[in-house]
Amino acid sequence: MTDPESLEGWVPEIGTRVSLEEVIDRAFDYRGNVTVVRADGSELEGYVFNRNRDVRVPFIQVFDRAGDGPYDILYSDIRAIRFTGKDTAAGGSYAAWLRAKQASKQRPGTTPAPGA
Amino acid sequence: MSVPLSQMWAVASYVVTQRLAGRTRYPLVLMLEPLFRCNLACAGCGKIQYPAQILRKHLTVEQCLSAVDECGAPIVSIPGGEPLMYPEIGRLVKELVARKKYVYLCTNALLLTAKLEDGVFEPSKYLSFSIHMDGLRDEHDEAVCRDGVYDEAVAAIREALRRGFRVTTNTTLFDGANPLRVREFFDAMMDLGVEGMMVSPGYSYAKAPDQEHFLRRRRAHELFTQILSGPKRRWKFNQSPLFLQFLMGKRDFECTPWGNPTYNMFGWQRPCYLLQEGYAATFQELMETTQWEHYGRKSGNEKCRDCMVHCGYEPTAVNHTFASWRGFRDTVAATVTGRF
Ligand code: SF4
Ligand code: SF4
Repeated sequence: MTDPESLEGWVPEIGTRVSLEEVIDRAFDYRGNVTVVRADGSELEGYVFNRNRDVRVPFIQVFDRAGDGPYDILYSDIRAIRFTGKDTAAGGSYAAWLRAKQASKQRPGTTPAPGA
Repeated sequence: MSVPLSQMWAVASYVVTQRLAGRTRYPLVLMLEPLFRCNLACAGCGKIQYPAQILRKHLTVEQCLSAVDECGAPIVSIPGGEPLMYPEIGRLVKELVARKKYVYLCTNALLLTAKLEDGVFEPSKYLSFSIHMDGLRDEHDEAVCRDGVYDEAVAAIREALRRGFRVTTNTTLFDGANPLRVREFFDAMMDLGVEGMMVSPGYSYAKAPDQEHFLRRRRAHELFTQILSGPKRRWKFNQSPLFLQFLMGKRDFECTPWGNPTYNMFGWQRPCYLLQEGYAATFQELMETTQWEHYGRKSGNEKCRDCMVHCGYEPTAVNHTFASWRGFRDTVAATVTGRF
């Protein structure tokens, strides 16, 4: 089940309708991997676990897909962010469990799996 | 209150020392999250939704200990994720006990019996297993989204008590909780012989799967008044009676977000255990650069409006106890009479 409000798959165009700061805030709040495109065109896919915009030189911090890092990237070095990874906080795992539970009540002896 | 005297004394002398030193912001409980992995996926939990590479990672024992030393709080609570899935949990606890830290190991207990049988832990006055129990069998199994967990947790509690460990329970309540059933649950936990219980309303984590059942403030007051009015003498709570009065709406406290600072693989979490507004590299940076005035109920911050969670308000209650004779007197009175 996909959450219609999830940002999964979002490829924002920075500068037209959303600012870089806004996209970074969304990426920081996103519980999935994203792909960060640097000014030189290189890309880093991983989890943005921190952003600090209250310092003289704002930056984000990323653990890459292998879990290595943290890699620090300055705001000024970010050209784009794509929401490429699965949103782990989306989807109705609880709703699905409730449905499975309801069904199991009608079929005694079955137990819904966690997060089913 | 059921906190052992030695622990009460350690906390009291720590608070008095901080106050005498003129410190207005100091930590009481370090929330140490060595990992985010868990063997459950509870409906109200916003702690475990991460990509696979993050769930595979964990802190080293050395990183944990250096955070403990940096922070200096007398109590270390180890939540998670599920800390019993942390490969070095035995060594970590041993090191913390050696440092005379009072450790609350917060676990869903699914792995506890096996760990006890493997001799991973030794009983100590410094170590308490804090077992996640959200109610009697039906309520708990529903909260953790798996049948049979209540029975496994009860068996683990019995085994831990039999082996001489300190055991407490921690219970998160959501809207729709039945006060009578919660009172029966308190009886059941006391029958089991746990040292004390902790209760708190749940927090409305934006990432939690169930978004419908978080308690708003007024409703929380009503619910806790129904649960805690006329408390039975045999009920023992491992938390400040002033915090329980706050839950009932008898006291108005402001949040103390720095009271329970949180450390995990991302660093020192701003501003509290519940919100993730960023991370500081050091404890000092957390304390000095977090804009504390943006948090707590009076700040008007939407995310804090309905929060009454123990990690923000229990430190306020403890500080209140030692800030004035009145606070001290009220705490003693509630402790001695068993009434809130
Ligand atoms: S509430 Fe605790 S036991 Fe439940 S999923 Fe979260 S970390 Fe695991
Ligand atoms: S009120 Fe709650 S959410 Fe807000 S800072 Fe305090 S503990 Fe955190």
